[in-house]
Amino acid sequence: MTEGSRSRPAVLAALALSALAPLALLLLASVGRDWFFPAPWPPAMTLESWGDAFRGGGRMAAALGTSLVLAVGTGLAGAAVGWPIGRALADLSGWARHLGASAAFLPVAAPPVALATGLHLSALTAGVAGTTGGVFLSHLVPATGYAALYFLGVFTLFDRRVEDEARTLGAGPRTVLWRVTMPMMRRQLGEAFLLGFLVSWAQVATTLVIGGGRVRTLPLEVFAYLQAGQDRYAATGALLLVIPALLMLGAVRFAVARAEATPL
Amino acid sequence: MTRSSRRGLLAALAVALPVLVGVGYSVLASVGLTGPGAAGGGSARLVAVLGEPVVWAGLAWSLWVAAASTALAAAGAVAVAALFRRGAGIDRMARLFAVLPLPIPHLAAAVAGLLLLGQSGLLARLLASLGLLADPGGMPALVYDRAGLGLILTLAWKEFAFLALVAFSVVATRGERLEEVARTLGAKPAAVFRRVTWPLLWRGILPAVVAAFVFVASTYEATAVLAPSDPLALPLLTLERYTDADLSRRGDAFALALLGMTVSLLAVAAHEWARSHWDRFEP
Repeated sequence: MTEGSRSRPAVLAALALSALAPLALLLLASVGRDWFFPAPWPPAMTLESWGDAFRGGGRMAAALGTSLVLAVGTGLAGAAVGWPIGRALADLSGWARHLGASAAFLPVAAPPVALATGLHLSALTAGVAGTTGGVFLSHLVPATGYAALYFLGVFTLFDRRVEDEARTLGAGPRTVLWRVTMPMMRRQLGEAFLLGFLVSWAQVATTLVIGGGRVRTLPLEVFAYLQAGQDRYAATGALLLVIPALLMLGAVRFAVARAEATPL
Repeated sequence: MTRSSRRGLLAALAVALPVLVGVGYSVLASVGLTGPGAAGGGSARLVAVLGEPVVWAGLAWSLWVAAASTALAAAGAVAVAALFRRGAGIDRMARLFAVLPLPIPHLAAAVAGLLLLGQSGLLARLLASLGLLADPGGMPALVYDRAGLGLILTLAWKEFAFLALVAFSVVATRGERLEEVARTLGAKPAAVFRRVTWPLLWRGILPAVVAAFVFVASTYEATAVLAPSDPLALPLLTLERYTDADLSRRGDAFALALLGMTVSLLAVAAHEWARSHWDRFEP
């Protein structure tokens, strides 16, 4: 037995601990009551913060709703806008292709704070600063970059002869899109939606600057709870940020596994 | 120029336009031509901001945190990818646990980091229960500390998942065949790792390492939760200036935003240069 294979169970245990312990700690902190130093374990449990998260009219419930609306909207719009952009970029070759890929990379690589301050004037000019619509548009900028890069890769490998065949059989552009291309791209559209959802779900800097504190999303509430020293609520909010992200990833992995047999 | 080329370039412009408008506005605002505190043009603001020691201290601190956390995450990813590369159950479980933190938002990771590493966090409580600590003040500062240890560990944990995913993919798609060739030529396991696996992994994950570095250097969420107020990290300093009650200082944020963008672009350019340099040696 080599040294590497002897250490594998120990490394596996460390990986499991590293992946699960932070989530377990958040869960514990979200239900622990009167959990003061040096108690290693909460002396009492409460579901108060979880109740507030789902009770209508509560701060956290409202923020959760706003975050969900923004993330779903950004995911849908990002996929819808990123598709044609990515496809058009995939048609490029040589220097133009490098230029196109770099352009799509810009919104992804731009520091969030720099992006937010830069976009603020546009939002003010358009009269959408401090509104949910303005925050949605600011989330859409990086989400479109991710989706365009994603579809650039997808359409680079896409076999367009299928569409050509449909056209030779008399199908118009709309029919080809709805009856041929879209059904083949269900998985890719789902993944692009997930990308946009996650980009919006975790945004803080653009929400803070463009929303001007008036649009309250879940991450902003988590910040507020931390600053107020309400660790239980902050941990609950943090877990609420984690759960949809993990569920989304699981759903996409499941969809990918099901669609794996379908050639592109 | 063909119709599809024109369409492609228009698409490129469409996706980059919001950022370009933002950059253009930042350039104009940083030289005082527009925005809050505009004073009619000139490089005075830019020179003044770039002459502030707090700016360079913040930049250096952000780069230190990014370099340390990315190096830790990359080393861990390479080690785990080399160790769990087969199809056995233990390998699949290890790969699953390694990438599990991937979709967890950085803010949630930062809250967990705070609850674990803070002065009265779980680590301090465990040390206290073992009799090694009497009060929270005895716990070494791991959050809000000048060295940024808590932030580095939290970001390394978060970036490790991303780099491990890339490393697993590199090993799965490119490693097997070349290693087999090395083995048939008589290379021992250590030599196979040193001469084949390691160079493949390192080059394969380099784009992701650069992306992680750029991301971490400009990340706001985790930094706002775990970083000290002195030195103030560049993203925090930028937002602090942007929301300053003194309108004349708000324009400083645009000069700082440009500085942040320059760092990102330099990292990407360095990576592109390295990649084109190494591509010449690809088999």
